[in-house]
Amino acid sequence: MKPRRWACSERLAHAARALAACLLLLALGPRDAGAAAIEPSQARVITAADAMPPADDDPRWKAVALPDAQPADFVWYRIDFEVTKPVAGAAWMVYLPYLYGGGSLWLNGEPAGAVPESTSTLRVRWERPLLLPLAPTQLRAGRNVLHLRAASAHLPAGAGAPRLAIGTQEELQPQFDRRLLMVRTVPLVTVLAGSVAALLVLFIWWRRRQEILYGLFGLAALLWALRTTTFVFDAMPMQWWPLWRMLYHASTGGFVIVMALFALSLAGGMRRGIAVALACYGLLGPVTYLLAGDRADTLVGRYWSAGLIPIGLSVAVLSFVAVWRQRTLGTAMIALAVTLAFAAGVHDYLVAWRSPWLESLLPRWSDHRLFLLHHAANLLLIVMGAQLTSRFVRTLHGLEEANRTLEARVAEREHELAGNYQRITTLQREQAVTQERQRIMQDLHDGLGSQLFTSLSRAERGALDNAAMAESLRHSIDEMRLAIEALASDERDFRTAFGNFCFRWEPRLREAGIVPTWSIDVPDAVLAVPPHDALQLLRIAQEALTNVLKHAQAGRVRVSLQHDGDRLVLEVCDDGRGQVAPRSAAGRGQANMQSRARRLGAELDIGDAAPGLRVRLVMPGTASA
Amino acid sequence: MSTSVLIVEDEPEFLRRFSEAVLADGGLRLIGAVSTGAAGLALLDAQPPDVMLVDLGLPDMDGVALIRHAARHQPACDALVVTMFADDSHVMASLEAGATGYLLKDASIERIAAAVHELHAGGSPISPSIARRVLARFRVAPVPPPQPAPPQPSLLSERETEILRLVAKGFSFDTVGELLRISPHTVVTHVKKIYRKLAVHSRGEAVYEASQMGLL
Repeated sequence: MKPRRWACSERLAHAARALAACLLLLALGPRDAGAAAIEPSQARVITAADAMPPADDDPRWKAVALPDAQPADFVWYRIDFEVTKPVAGAAWMVYLPYLYGGGSLWLNGEPAGAVPESTSTLRVRWERPLLLPLAPTQLRAGRNVLHLRAASAHLPAGAGAPRLAIGTQEELQPQFDRRLLMVRTVPLVTVLAGSVAALLVLFIWWRRRQEILYGLFGLAALLWALRTTTFVFDAMPMQWWPLWRMLYHASTGGFVIVMALFALSLAGGMRRGIAVALACYGLLGPVTYLLAGDRADTLVGRYWSAGLIPIGLSVAVLSFVAVWRQRTLGTAMIALAVTLAFAAGVHDYLVAWRSPWLESLLPRWSDHRLFLLHHAANLLLIVMGAQLTSRFVRTLHGLEEANRTLEARVAEREHELAGNYQRITTLQREQAVTQERQRIMQDLHDGLGSQLFTSLSRAERGALDNAAMAESLRHSIDEMRLAIEALASDERDFRTAFGNFCFRWEPRLREAGIVPTWSIDVPDAVLAVPPHDALQLLRIAQEALTNVLKHAQAGRVRVSLQHDGDRLVLEVCDDGRGQVAPRSAAGRGQANMQSRARRLGAELDIGDAAPGLRVRLVMPGTASA
Repeated sequence: MSTSVLIVEDEPEFLRRFSEAVLADGGLRLIGAVSTGAAGLALLDAQPPDVMLVDLGLPDMDGVALIRHAARHQPACDALVVTMFADDSHVMASLEAGATGYLLKDASIERIAAAVHELHAGGSPISPSIARRVLARFRVAPVPPPQPAPPQPSLLSERETEILRLVAKGFSFDTVGELLRISPHTVVTHVKKIYRKLAVHSRGEAVYEASQMGLL
């Protein structure tokens, strides 16, 4: 079994090397084989704080391989290199990928450039690359000597030299630019973009506290922006250093912890106990640093940070659990990004603490000391941001959909209400029509019907001679005509109906030798009387006139209609023989009039007019409109 | 000179009644008593009467068409419509076709003769509701005919409008005459003129409408 496992790890190492080569190519750019810069791999070192390069024949020089680091405050390196190409006509430069503690560079005994060195009041963290021009007067064809004075860095501890390169500007500028982009520009953008995004998302969370994921994401982005400042400042005054360093630890741990909480929330496994435990561990590092001071930096950085690795691993595992459960593209993307970030974090830890394992596995890659976590974390933040944005958009869509549904429901209900209203209106109309029909039936029954039946009965028992028969039929026709006048007409003004009545009666009275006088005294406005009331009023008038015609033996008749205030007064006065016997036909007619007046709610008074008879009807509650 | 009368009525009982009324009156002369619209039309053109009594419900044609024919071709002939109830819609249709008076079917024989005399003498009675309708008919913004012939021949005079207004309020002809300081007879003369204007007005509108619809 053992050889097989060996083969397996060998294959893994191959894969890691291939990946590293790819990343290196990406980070440093394609190498031009024809115009390669000089990259010395050997140097000599002396532990000394001299201001000038030590002499060449100093016995303390000892050979080392680059990159190198010595546990001392100051060291001098001496690097010999051969220039085989022509010196003139090209801008020669020296490229240093980093110079952690600061220092100065000398070419052939002359100063060629310097960066600030760490002192008791200043902490230098020169992470960014240097591209120093070499004066053409100093550079010689053939053999040259480069001296590098390196000051001690805080982390990694000790003074050291990177693997530097000497070449023309064309050869070195691309490398410099790429490394600058990776270790300076991207972190700067991360700090700015991260802060802005964090404030924005935290604002959303502040207004909607129930959206825990937004709060966690905002916090993660803010912590990450804080942590990334570690790549943005080249030098920090000593008095600010402990605070800055503590912030670094707090934000590193905080970011990992918040990521864990985010993943837990997303996977649905958030427990209060777990959250508290994670928060406690997150606080442990910065609190330790705060209490123990700078001497605990290594302890915290090396061991507490190592404890974040399993947490990161569990975040990765949790995110895959979420993928398994939810099976969405978003969770899959998050899982991939978390995995990448986890790998980058482990990688950075190994690079930071100069893991011999990594240096033996990927010697060239580890020489460059490129940190990857802030790129992977940026990717992770972008993926998380995209996920939250798509959730936000989905929520909005859902809201719109809900609104649409609601609107549709409201419209439907309105439609129903309108339908109901219409049904009610139709029913009311039908009811009104039915009532109207019943009234007409009642009118037919009371008026024409009873008239015809009485006549028929009398005719059948032979009690009706020709004249009486004609009289009776004429009465029926009058009855019908009256109904038509009152009901079929679309007149709403009682004056017109009453005028029609007079118009019809005038010739008839004159033919009978009775001189009629008509008097209408009502205000100029429309006199509105409901059709059925109008019919009753006209029937009473007709009954009165019929009585005058048949029984009164009168020579004149005066018919008047008055409307004063709110009562209608109808008067029929003749100059005939006056009161009649109650049992006579005229008497029955008067009884008829009385009952009609009662139904109208009117008052009927039949009395002597000396000479003649006066029929006076007073109907209250009629208003002119 | 007696007044010549043509009767067009499909009901034999009433044909007989109207004929008796005309024959009984010395001042009237019966030209013909026919029971179809076609016969009425033929007689109307062959021997134009002074007054034509028309029933609206004829078996072969609408009485209104007969009235329209008479108004157009025999302008000297007065058409007197006989209706059962003098209901507004039938009366208005007849008046618009050119009738100048109407009579209830159950009118007494004396009343029938009197109505013919009155009409021929130049007077037409009018009921309040018909007065109201006629007023409304003229109040409708008169549509200008395509070629304005005599200037506004169909519009009512102020006096005529006043008469219609008072009658519509239910006042009798006597009262109207008193109010306007004219005799009741002058009132009915005005009414007859109004009827003639109504027919012309209606014809103008009919022509205008027909031309609008592309019939003319």
